[in-house]
Amino acid sequence: MNSRMKSEGLAFTAFVGSAIAGALWVARDWPVRASIGILVLGIIGVTLALCQISRDLRLQKTVQDRSAFEAPQIATEGKWGNIEIWSWIVGFYLLIVSIGFMLAVPLFVLTYSKFYGARWGLSIGLSAVAWSLVYGVFETILHVPWPTPLIYSVFQT
Amino acid sequence: MLEAAFEGLSQVLTPNSLGLMCLGVLLGSIVGFLPGIGGPSTLAIMLPFVMTMKDPFAVIALLVGFDAVGNTASAFTSVLISVPGSSGSQATVLDGYPLARQGQAMRALSASFIASLVGGLLGPLVLLGSLPFLRPMVLSFGSPEFFVLTLWGVTMVGVLSGNVPLKGLLAGILGIFISAVGADDKSGIERFTFDTAYLVEGIDLVIVALGMFAIPECIDLAARKTAVAETQELGHGFREGAKDVFRHWWLTLRASAIGIWVGFLPGLGSSVADWFAYAHALQTEKNSGNFGKGDIRGVIAAESSNNAKEAGDYIPTLAFGIPGGTSTALILTALVAVGVNPGPEMLTTQLSFTFAVIWTLTIANIIAVAICLLFIKPISRMCFMPFYSLVPLILVFVFIGAFASNRTHTDLLALMIFSLLGFMMRRHGWPRSPLVLGMVLGDKMENYLWLSYGRFGFEWLARPAVMILFVLLALSLCYPILQDWKERKRRGERASLDR
Repeated sequence: MNSRMKSEGLAFTAFVGSAIAGALWVARDWPVRASIGILVLGIIGVTLALCQISRDLRLQKTVQDRSAFEAPQIATEGKWGNIEIWSWIVGFYLLIVSIGFMLAVPLFVLTYSKFYGARWGLSIGLSAVAWSLVYGVFETILHVPWPTPLIYSVFQT
Repeated sequence: MLEAAFEGLSQVLTPNSLGLMCLGVLLGSIVGFLPGIGGPSTLAIMLPFVMTMKDPFAVIALLVGFDAVGNTASAFTSVLISVPGSSGSQATVLDGYPLARQGQAMRALSASFIASLVGGLLGPLVLLGSLPFLRPMVLSFGSPEFFVLTLWGVTMVGVLSGNVPLKGLLAGILGIFISAVGADDKSGIERFTFDTAYLVEGIDLVIVALGMFAIPECIDLAARKTAVAETQELGHGFREGAKDVFRHWWLTLRASAIGIWVGFLPGLGSSVADWFAYAHALQTEKNSGNFGKGDIRGVIAAESSNNAKEAGDYIPTLAFGIPGGTSTALILTALVAVGVNPGPEMLTTQLSFTFAVIWTLTIANIIAVAICLLFIKPISRMCFMPFYSLVPLILVFVFIGAFASNRTHTDLLALMIFSLLGFMMRRHGWPRSPLVLGMVLGDKMENYLWLSYGRFGFEWLARPAVMILFVLLALSLCYPILQDWKERKRRGERASLDR
């Protein structure tokens, strides 16, 4: 494990510990009925987080922590590593908010697949499948009330 | 009794009931296959139509048929794209997906279907035979016992997370805290809502589960820029998977028993059984080092338990009128509407209805597994699809699944926050399962704790069953310390031998 990953891991443990400590702080003014569980578990949680932080700091030659029933840690491949896929995810979210599910879904599938080298036929086919699923199941059968996309609100005003 | 059994069977096998059962199985399989469309929400949509039906046997065939098979088809998405199709097959992802990546998707799927079948057939058998024995035991269980049981569940999964028990326990606590978000029924206080309307209703488990498991796997797939399977083989087909189930028959039976037991205990819910069975397999099986990296026993344990659990759910529902879960609560509503009175009468004057449920559970499981095995090969080919075909489709599935929770854009924002948390946890070797289990059990745990204190003060701690359960909990906590000590001793012995 390189030092960057090590300090990132330490920061993450500190973040979890702080989140639990923050919850403990927020819960201190609540009535016992609502806070008893949070207070008991919060104190245990903060203690465990401190133990974990001290363990991380103590171990010089850390064996990479691997939980027994977990998938291997995510590798960062390529120049941009995981930032690339995170950008796609955030982009998809923004697209849904802006133009709505019905348009965002085929547009996203088409753009993503085409960007990474899929043939036009495959890209269009995948987009059609995704759109059919959304339209057929969620729009026609389940009558899901889609929220108004941002672009419609802009045009209406 | 035999007469009632035959009457139940003959009523279930009428063309009308059989047709409705097949419809229920098909709908249940589709709902199980599509992540984000929950069984209970579909049941709720069906309820108004079903309640207009006159024949109780037809209602049983349709609804029980639908409910019995939801966890069978959900293995497809759990194994192939690491997105649990239903809450009951979350633990299947842990070993099913790595097996798919190793080119053994067919084996994982067939093992999961056969295990589901075994669990699904054992469940009704136990439902039949267990009533006279289990009834007094569950009736003697109160909120203190249920509290320790839920606490033990989170601790067990947290502690068993390999060489990171501290992180496991912290993740469990984090999950319990996430479950506390929203308006508290007991005190009326809004907890951790930060004056945000969205958080008043609490955070949906589906969003957390998708963020914890689906998106991090999707990121991994996108970063690797390959297909799901790292080889070009589907494995040895369903024969190998079926053999695996019978090779590990003792585990299958134990996991099924856990599923039935979890279903039998009211209020534990469908998403607990697979985790309990998985943790049990991890704790008791020899050479468990491969769990989480593609061990078929992980798939068998999770899948046999989640189907067996469905039958377990019906024990308190039918015998005591106490629904074992959300789905059975809805089915109970429909049964009452068509003239069936769940309760002790189900074992006396209405015994034929009880048998109709048992037969439906049995036949529906056989039909569902036959359907799944029929489509196993074409669907397994998804593993060879290049990442650019799968990643956008998975993201669409995941986003729609998350959106289906409350149907607002904020669901998607919540999804991304939990995805980031899941991503960081996976990146730094934190186990994610205890967080999900903590979230599942957190609310119940708090309720049981408060009820115990409210009813018995601190005296509940002295109840014999509570003390036994606390001893088991302490043993679970000591287990990793003992393991660590053993490992150190072994290393010390090896070092002295080398010298």
